[in-house]
Amino acid sequence: MTTTTIRHHPSEATLLAYAAGTLPAALALVAATHLARCPVCRDMVAAAEAIGGTLLDSLSPAEMEVDVAAVDQVLERAGLPPAAPAPVLHPDLAPPLNRVRMGRWWPIGRGVRWRPLHVGGRAWAGLLLAQPGRSIPSHGHAGLELTCLLSGGFRDGGEEYAAGDVAEPVGEHDTPPVAIGAEPCLCVVGFEGMRFHGWLGLAQRLGRW
Amino acid sequence: MNRPPAASDAADHAALILAIAQRQDRAAFATLFAYFAPRVKAWMLRAGVPPTGAEELAQETLLMVWRKAKLFDPARAGASTWIFAIARNLRLDVLRRERHPSELLAEEAADEDAETAPAADHAFDQREREVRIRAALATLPVEQATVIRKAFFEDKAHGDIEKELGIPLGTVKSRMRLAMNRLRAALGDVV
Ligand SMILES: [Zn+2]
Repeated sequence: MTTTTIRHHPSEATLLAYAAGTLPAALALVAATHLARCPVCRDMVAAAEAIGGTLLDSLSPAEMEVDVAAVDQVLERAGLPPAAPAPVLHPDLAPPLNRVRMGRWWPIGRGVRWRPLHVGGRAWAGLLLAQPGRSIPSHGHAGLELTCLLSGGFRDGGEEYAAGDVAEPVGEHDTPPVAIGAEPCLCVVGFEGMRFHGWLGLAQRLGRW
Repeated sequence: MNRPPAASDAADHAALILAIAQRQDRAAFATLFAYFAPRVKAWMLRAGVPPTGAEELAQETLLMVWRKAKLFDPARAGASTWIFAIARNLRLDVLRRERHPSELLAEEAADEDAETAPAADHAFDQREREVRIRAALATLPVEQATVIRKAFFEDKAHGDIEKELGIPLGTVKSRMRLAMNRLRAALGDVV
């Protein structure tokens, strides 16, 4: 949990959606990868969850079918074992990615590989590994996209991103992001409503997600 | 049973969860159930869950409160906030078969807590946070309050709120930013 030089954070709107539970799972996972490293955004999410708590408090109670005075019948079900915790599957990856099921690496162009994460829901997530100097595959935006850099760096739209930083683009990329620095660029990407072109588009259509 | 929420309730609710954690106090659970189950159900109904599902989710949320009471830490979250997060995660699990990643992070934290003591700066009582947030929410400009309420009460991300309100996404996002900054300012050093 390094807290050093994070300069790019998810938008307040994204953190709010994370706290409200409306961010698609694939994007929430990318946000959580950042949160695990960023105390500033953890505070923001804690504040947003407190909004959720106070809004819950402020609601007019709905009519319950079960007799609220006879909760013993509800507690009869309390003996069920809680869901097993998710095991650590990838000790080499930062939390929460270390506990996420994922597929194999796929080459999606020269010096670029993609590893789909099995998160379910209506959006997609994967790890992207780009060798220095390689550009991240081009894609068109039709929905939310969130990238969290795990190691290495990339440049996008005149901004440089380092480990822990989050890129949340608005609209089309003018030029594709490029991996910079001496080591490969590893990031986790989540997106919805978007089609990659070329190799990545093929992998997407083949259902390798 | 239909008391309006008051600050003293929040303190009581935290104590009730602790009573469940310490001695499986059924009377404490009954009080929590009577207060929160109808509100969780109301929230699910507002989010578009059909009545049967909303009833189920409300009961399951409170059952989860019983099961997880030992994990409740009043220095980290107020009772309402903690129960809100349980309901949120359960709804994702049941309706979308998605797992909120906060659960994965919580497992990470549980592994770490086994080794390290809680930090002293978490010792602040989170009741104060909920009280201040409630006061600040009441003073938000109406257009900011609207996007905040929509973010929580409707199962929509900000891209869909944009379509529904007929205002540009940039405007939705900037209203959320302004609102969050006001709420954070209201918290002051209480973070
Ligand atoms: Zn951050």
